Amino acid sequence: MTTLLTSTGTSSSASPAVGRGLALSVLRLHRSALWLWLLLVVVLSAAMLWAYGPGYDAADTDLQERCRKSVETCHFPDGPAFIRYDRAVSYSTLAVTCFPFLVAVWAGAALIARELETGTAHLAWTQSVSPTRWLAAKLAVPALLITAGTAVLVPLHRLVWDQDAWLRSMDWYDRSIYPSSGTLPLAYALCGLALGALAGLVVGRALPALGVAFAALLAVYYLGNEYRLSLWPTVTVTGAKALNLPDDALQLDRGVITDEGTRIANNLACADADGVAGLRRCLADSGLDEIWATYHPRYHYWPLQLAETGVVLAVAALAVTAAFVLLRRRTATEGVAV
Amino acid sequence: MSRVGDGTALTAVGLGKRYRRRRGHVLRDCSFRLPTGRICALVGPNGAGKSTLLQLAAGLIRPTEGTLTVLGTSPAAARERFAYVAQGKPLPLQLTVAATLRLGAELNRARWDQPAAERIAYGHPTEQGARDGALEPTARIRSLSGGQRTRVALALAFGKRPELMLLDEPMADLDPLARRELLGALLGEAAEHGTTIVMSSHVVAELEGVCDHLLLMGGGRIRLGGDPEELLAAHTLVTGPARDLTGHTVVESRDTGRQLTALIRPGGPPSDDWQTAAPTLEELLLAHLRNPKAPDLFTEDTEAGEEKSGSEAEGTKEAEETGKPGETGEDQENEENARA
Repeated sequence: MTTLLTSTGTSSSASPAVGRGLALSVLRLHRSALWLWLLLVVVLSAAMLWAYGPGYDAADTDLQERCRKSVETCHFPDGPAFIRYDRAVSYSTLAVTCFPFLVAVWAGAALIARELETGTAHLAWTQSVSPTRWLAAKLAVPALLITAGTAVLVPLHRLVWDQDAWLRSMDWYDRSIYPSSGTLPLAYALCGLALGALAGLVVGRALPALGVAFAALLAVYYLGNEYRLSLWPTVTVTGAKALNLPDDALQLDRGVITDEGTRIANNLACADADGVAGLRRCLADSGLDEIWATYHPRYHYWPLQLAETGVVLAVAALAVTAAFVLLRRRTATEGVAV
Repeated sequence: MSRVGDGTALTAVGLGKRYRRRRGHVLRDCSFRLPTGRICALVGPNGAGKSTLLQLAAGLIRPTEGTLTVLGTSPAAARERFAYVAQGKPLPLQLTVAATLRLGAELNRARWDQPAAERIAYGHPTEQGARDGALEPTARIRSLSGGQRTRVALALAFGKRPELMLLDEPMADLDPLARRELLGALLGEAAEHGTTIVMSSHVVAELEGVCDHLLLMGGGRIRLGGDPEELLAAHTLVTGPARDLTGHTVVESRDTGRQLTALIRPGGPPSDDWQTAAPTLEELLLAHLRNPKAPDLFTEDTEAGEEKSGSEAEGTKEAEETGKPGETGEDQENEENARA
């Protein structure tokens, strides 16, 4: 996006000043969105900080007390303190997870399409701002704010979840936490911005653009969910190692190799064998040669996160490029008048 | 920056625009030249293509065929030097009037004239205080009437201190007082800074006596172009016994049996038994609109791209990198095409 920005900066004298004015104008036009975003960041941060500090402490003390009284509550945490804590954590996670969709919907409807619909975009284009610079500013300013906000929310969220491990054992790959941790929330939010902008330009009307932007991001999100585990090579082990995978590994498949050398997936034969000797005996009894298991160890968290982030950002880059191409084709942005 | 009459504000050569492939042309084979410093009325019936022409000049859409040169360069390169007010007067509804003017300042950093914009927006306070409907800086655009929004839109245009103003139906929803005031401001601007003004309208009377250039649109092209006085002088309204009109160009003739009324461009002295009269501007325009087959007439040289002019040299300077002064608009255009 920065390259596009500089390459289209054809204006003569006061480029930096115009750029600043343009950024200010974006903030001025979308002031309510800016306040809403700030409010969201503040409220979510407050909720998560509360959950991290007093909320957790209260729930923890309360639960330990209950646990002492009855063993059952050790496994099924309950009580008003825990429920309050649980709500704070769940809702903030939900917000962090859904926030990219909020961005997409806003970018499609309010940022671009409404301006095209009411003609205020054309108003900007006939001031001293070319359509490409306009779009560049429309993308860059929100992108910056989204990045800043996410940089606060995601680490906080992480903090809460790391501490949460005792209360409810959630694995690193759990679907309710994985997409809202690491670099993914930012990637999906930026992708939402790009897809929203493209949808706004293509559709040109606020309400349909809102729907299209949401659907587009949902598709990307769904595909991400579906294929994220294939984005990094898995680890395959055989023999006794396949019996005892590391505790926090995400097991993907487990199977056997027969004496004839056929590989059978999704097979739990001998998976419960006891020790190396037990395994050998079981294999010999069943006419099998070996057992195997594929999994993602915990240290695959970052490679997987970064690979998915890369793919999602690539989608975003494609959408941005398409948006610029579309805009340039429609309007007289460069010196072309043919 | 003297641009007295020798430059070219707008040049169109074979301009055409189709919105959808299957639909017909909105503009077709539209050619004309508008010198700088003029106050030009762009008149024509609804759907004649006035707005499309102005949008093309403002660089908001691209022509399907032909070229359009604005202030000696392409619309995109001239962006900073013209102002455009769209027909719907779009403004961000959530802003206040003052914030809208600040927006104008932010988007036109290089050449914003705040006092000029405020003069138009808030008007001159009279001795009796502000006149009815005067704008408050803190009023939201949302709460303004159509005419008041026009005022703000025009204020944005004035604040830009443009060399060319493209105004699409600027007077349509103004009350007579505001119309007078804003026309006065436009004329003052033109007189003081040599600003070229193009105003579209479908009400001819609205602009009569104000403009010193007329472009009549019909059927997607310019039918008449030039000084209204000269255009009027070129036509004669004749009434008399029905007879042969060969030798004259007949724009429109109406035969009421014994009597023939015709608007002609005389090709020689008319016969003695005819009563001749000078047509009014309205009669002239209506006659042309009623008869699409009447040949087009331009009282000034409309050949585009042949002149080298001060304004075009200026254009080159501001469009930077294209560089070499003294080039014609056409050459510049080609070069920019090659660059893109």
